[in-house]
Amino acid sequence: MDLGLSGKKALVIGGARGIGFAVAELLAREGCDVAITARSEDSVKEAVANLRKYGTNVIGSPVNVMKAEEYKAWLTDIIEQLGGCDVLVPITSAGGGVGSEKYWTRAFEVDVMGPVRAAEAVLPGMTERGSGSIVLIATTSAGEAMGGPQAYNAMKASLVTWGKQMALTHGKDGIRVNVVSPGPVEFEGGNWDMIKGTMEKFYNSLIRQQPTGRFGTPEEIARAIVFLASPAANWCNGSHLVVDGGFTNRTHF
Amino acid sequence: MDVKRKVDIIRVNPDEWTGGTPAEKAPDPDLGHDLIAAARYTSADFMQKEWDHIWSKVWLLGGRSDDIKEPGDYICTEIGKESILIVRQHDGSVKGFYNVCLHRGNKLRPEGLGNAEEFRCMYHHWAYDLDGQITKIPDLDTFPQGGPTCGRIPEVKVAEWGSFVWFTLNPDPEPLEDYLDPIPQHLAPYHFERMAWTRDITVEWDCNWKASIDAFNESYHVQGIHPQLKWYLDDINIQIDCYERHSRYLIPFATVSPRVVLPSAIPPAIAEIMIKAGMDPADYDGRVSDIRRDVQKFMRANGKARGKDYSELNDDQLTDDYHYLIFPNVTLNTHADDLMLFRQRPHPTDPDKMFYDIWMFELVPEGEEWPERPPHRLFKHGDKSIGQVLDQDAFNLPTVQKGMHSSAFQGLWLSDQELRIRHFHRVISDYIYGHNGPGEGDI
Repeated sequence: MDLGLSGKKALVIGGARGIGFAVAELLAREGCDVAITARSEDSVKEAVANLRKYGTNVIGSPVNVMKAEEYKAWLTDIIEQLGGCDVLVPITSAGGGVGSEKYWTRAFEVDVMGPVRAAEAVLPGMTERGSGSIVLIATTSAGEAMGGPQAYNAMKASLVTWGKQMALTHGKDGIRVNVVSPGPVEFEGGNWDMIKGTMEKFYNSLIRQQPTGRFGTPEEIARAIVFLASPAANWCNGSHLVVDGGFTNRTHF
Repeated sequence: MDVKRKVDIIRVNPDEWTGGTPAEKAPDPDLGHDLIAAARYTSADFMQKEWDHIWSKVWLLGGRSDDIKEPGDYICTEIGKESILIVRQHDGSVKGFYNVCLHRGNKLRPEGLGNAEEFRCMYHHWAYDLDGQITKIPDLDTFPQGGPTCGRIPEVKVAEWGSFVWFTLNPDPEPLEDYLDPIPQHLAPYHFERMAWTRDITVEWDCNWKASIDAFNESYHVQGIHPQLKWYLDDINIQIDCYERHSRYLIPFATVSPRVVLPSAIPPAIAEIMIKAGMDPADYDGRVSDIRRDVQKFMRANGKARGKDYSELNDDQLTDDYHYLIFPNVTLNTHADDLMLFRQRPHPTDPDKMFYDIWMFELVPEGEEWPERPPHRLFKHGDKSIGQVLDQDAFNLPTVQKGMHSSAFQGLWLSDQELRIRHFHRVISDYIYGHNGPGEGDI
C-alpha cells in the first residue's frame, strides 16, 4: 500500500526522541521533508543528523513550547523554511505530575496550547492548498485511570474533544484531523524505562495488564500515526484510534 | 565501563575552596591486585587478632554528646565482650569505665542511655560514683582483705569530637584528634551539633562486620542491587580518596547515572531532593542533567532564609554524598541537611554475625524546636524494613557471608572501583601485622 507521503512536508513538534522521533523517522523514510524541534539543541542536532539518512530535507531547531511568543515565531519561521506544511504531528508533552498546581499550567501550555498554536500556524496554508492532515496525540490515560488524578490525563483528554471539532470544521477545506491514544510505550530514556528501574513493582503490575506481556514500542505507535497522517487514510477524519496492544479494558462501540 | 553516555560532572575547584572540607583528590595508593583472603571474614583466629590489635587499641565511637548533657547522664555501649559506661561528670567533662562490678562481675547497667546519681550493682549493692570510684561496699568488715586496692573500676579513655563521644580501651592512646586526622578538618563544616537524632536502630546481621563496611565502601554495587539509584546518583564519576587509615568517596547526587539514557521527566527521587531543598519540580524548566547544579544554587541562595547555614560547605556538598569511613567501623553519609551514620560492631564471639547500628540525624533549622529523640530499637535482620536501599544491602549480606565459607572461594577479587576496600584491608594488615605486612602463613 502506498501511503502517498512522498514529497509531503511534515512538521513534528517534539521529534527528537521516543514516539515523536519514530514518527519523524517513518515520515522521512516515506519521502517527506521533515521539520522537528525539542527543548535542547544537542538532541535536535543529533536527531536531525539521524533523520537525514533517508535523503529528504530534514531541518530542526530548539524551542521552548512554554514560551508562547517565542514558540509562535518559531512556528512561522520553520514552516517557511520547510516550504509549507502538509502534515502536522504535535506530540510534545510536559508529562505527568501530582501535587503542585503548576503541573496544570505546564500541561495546559505544552500538551494543549502546544498543539493548538501549531495547528493555528499550519491551518491557513493547508486551507489555501485545500489539503492537509493533523494527528493529535492523546493517551489511554485520558480514558482510563492511571497514576492518580492529574493534569496530564485531563489535559490530554481535551485534545480528543478539540480534535473532533477541528475535523468537523476544517473537513470542507480538505483538512483531516485525527487523534491517536497510545497506551504505555517503552524506550530507552523514556518514562517507562525509568519506572522499570525505579518502581519495579508498579511496572510489573502494568505489564501483567498487557495481554502480550509487554509495552508498546515507539515504532508501533508511529505506524498508526503516520498512516492516519497519510493520504492513504483520506476517509479517516475525526476518528480517535487507541493503539495500546489491548491494554485498556473498555469497548469502543 | 558499561555506560550509555559520557557525563561531565561539574565539581568545585579545590583551589577556589579553601578553609572548608578539602575537595582535592588524594593520590591513589598502589595497593596491588592480590586477592583479599576470605578467611579474614570467617576465621575465629583472625577475629581474635582484630580484637588484640584493633578493637582494643583504637578510638571507637561511643555515642552522641547531646545524649549525655547533664551530670550523671550516661551511655552504656558494647564492643566485643566488653561493655563500657560513658558518663557526664559534675564538672562537665566525660569519663568512661568498664561496666562491671568488681565484686562478682555483674554488669552495672544494661546497654542504652540513662541517668544515675551513682552506679549501684543490683546484686549486692556495691556502689560507684560517676567516675567509677567505689563509694560503698556493704559489710566491708566481712572482707578481711579489704576492698579492691585500686579503689575503682578500671578507666576507659574518653574524648569528644564533632558532637560525638569516643572511647578507647587502649590505656595509652594517641590523642583522639590525631587518630581521627584528617577527618575533623573534613567534617567540621557540616556542624553535626546542629543536627538532631531521627533514627536509632541496631540490627543483628548474619555477616562479618567487614562485609558490612565493604557494602558501603564502593559504588560498583549500585548497578547490581540498587538499580533504582541510577536515577538518583552518578555511580561512575566518583572521587575516591584514601588517607592514612581513613578514606572517603564523593558521589554526585541529584543526577542520573551515565549507565542509563537521560530521561526527559524528572526522576521521582530527584524530585524529592528538589522538594526538600524548597524547589517545586513542577516549576522546573531546565534539563534533568542541570538539576544538581540548580539545586546547589537554590540552596546557596535560600538556605539562610530557611534557617540553614551552609556557609562553610562547598557547592558539591549541598547535593552530593561525601561518604567517609572512619577506621575501623564508622561509615558516614554526610549531607548538608542530614547525616546517615552506620556503626558496625563485631559479634562478641561469632565471626559470622555483627551488629549494625543505624544513626540518623537531621539539621534543625535555626529557631526551630528540636524534635524528640527517637527511642533505640533493636531487631534481627528481616524482622522489619529499614528502608528500600538498606533492605537491599541487608538482604544480600547473609549470602555473601555464607559464600565466604565455600572452598571454591579463596578471596575478594577487587576492581579499581573497590579501592577503598583494598585500602581498608591494608590498614587492618598494618594494625595486625605492623608495617612489614603479613608474614608466611598470615592472611
